Amino acid sequence: MDWLETTREALVLLVSGDADLWQIIFISLRVSLLAMLIAAPIAISLGYVLATSSFPGRRILIVITQGLLASPTVVVGLILYLLLSRQGIFGSLKLLFTQEAMIIGQVLIALPVLVSFTISAVQGADPRARETAISLGASRLRTAMTTLLEVRFGVMAAVFNAFGRIVSEIGCSLMVGGNIAGVTRNIPTAIALETSKGEFAQGIALGFVLLIVALSVNFALAFVQGEGGMK
Amino acid sequence: MSVPILVIEGVRKYFGTRRILDISKLSLAAGGSYVLTGENGSGKTTLLRVLAGLEDAEVEICCFNGEMVDLHSYPGWLRHNVIYVHQHPYLFRGSIYDNIAFGLRARGMSASQYAPIVQEAVSWAGVTELLDVPTHRLSGGEKQRVALARARVLNPRLFLLDEPTASLDAEARQQTIRLIRELCVANSTVVLACHDREIIDLPHMHRLHMANGRV
Repeated sequence: MDWLETTREALVLLVSGDADLWQIIFISLRVSLLAMLIAAPIAISLGYVLATSSFPGRRILIVITQGLLASPTVVVGLILYLLLSRQGIFGSLKLLFTQEAMIIGQVLIALPVLVSFTISAVQGADPRARETAISLGASRLRTAMTTLLEVRFGVMAAVFNAFGRIVSEIGCSLMVGGNIAGVTRNIPTAIALETSKGEFAQGIALGFVLLIVALSVNFALAFVQGEGGMK
Repeated sequence: MSVPILVIEGVRKYFGTRRILDISKLSLAAGGSYVLTGENGSGKTTLLRVLAGLEDAEVEICCFNGEMVDLHSYPGWLRHNVIYVHQHPYLFRGSIYDNIAFGLRARGMSASQYAPIVQEAVSWAGVTELLDVPTHRLSGGEKQRVALARARVLNPRLFLLDEPTASLDAEARQQTIRLIRELCVANSTVVLACHDREIIDLPHMHRLHMANGRV
């Protein structure tokens, strides 16, 4: 295999606007961005509550959330598959092998990352920020928003990390998406398929895109963390 | 002396076996000025924080302006009447203007309603020249003055100020004392935890000495 020739072919595919290739990229970004839009508000709210409230079972919930950080995505996919398959309790919804199923899976994968990072960010905040908001008469919602705004760089790090994890995961997408061309084939599942067929050019082209997305997320993260550190 | 704005009885707080607060009764007159003196660890800050609802303690009776209140649940109307200012005040990221307007916004005032109030407070605190400076670049004295202005615009019945002149240089200290003096002659009740002799000796200042959690 001529690596240089294959890489050149990959670049040609990308810049020529190959329809199949760009459809895969579009599906990948659409699914992951929608999953983030759903997961982020829920998880950030949950993270704030867990970080600032005191109730029985709170400690256990935090430990479970942190434990789920290490859950293999294929296991999440397997559980979701069982729930969504025809014999599963949500089988009647007919969601298996759809983008919706992939979105649900990615939401489940993103939640522990977002919750854990938000807890760390809020617990690491200066306690005077929340106390000042409370003392100035802010409602619970305004106090929460103010505190989260004060630790926004930590919260943004949570969002970027979670996005980086779901946009590159393959296990869950393969299990519940089924890798159907033009429907549920995203970048990671397409790379696996094309490489197994010996179609290295498309695999490398998609690999480039995934790498660019991952690097962009990391650069954005480094940038906002740098901004946050500026005094 | 006028009617009390606050009466608390049976205030107790322990960390393990260590007594932090043990106050049988404390009564603060409306419009009065009080300075809490005492060694570090005598319970001054804890008392202020309990009164502000930022820390829990066992409180048998709390009566604010003639109305019985539960400091644990700390009702909203009480929150609007009591403001606590930290020893090292926290200013939110953003501008001085936004910080001073924070509490007014929280009370639902519109920008046009609070603008003149904030402008007056900016002038009162002597921070007009600093309006364009990000809050994280302000000195300790400037932060203290902004925090006092931020509290004052809310017109609370009770100010709780924790060591407002601690760690300030001579000039910043004098500017802060000027503002505190003005707060003390206004209608609100002011309670300060303080070691500053000049504040302790201010006219009409009532001294409350604390030792081992007792007043």
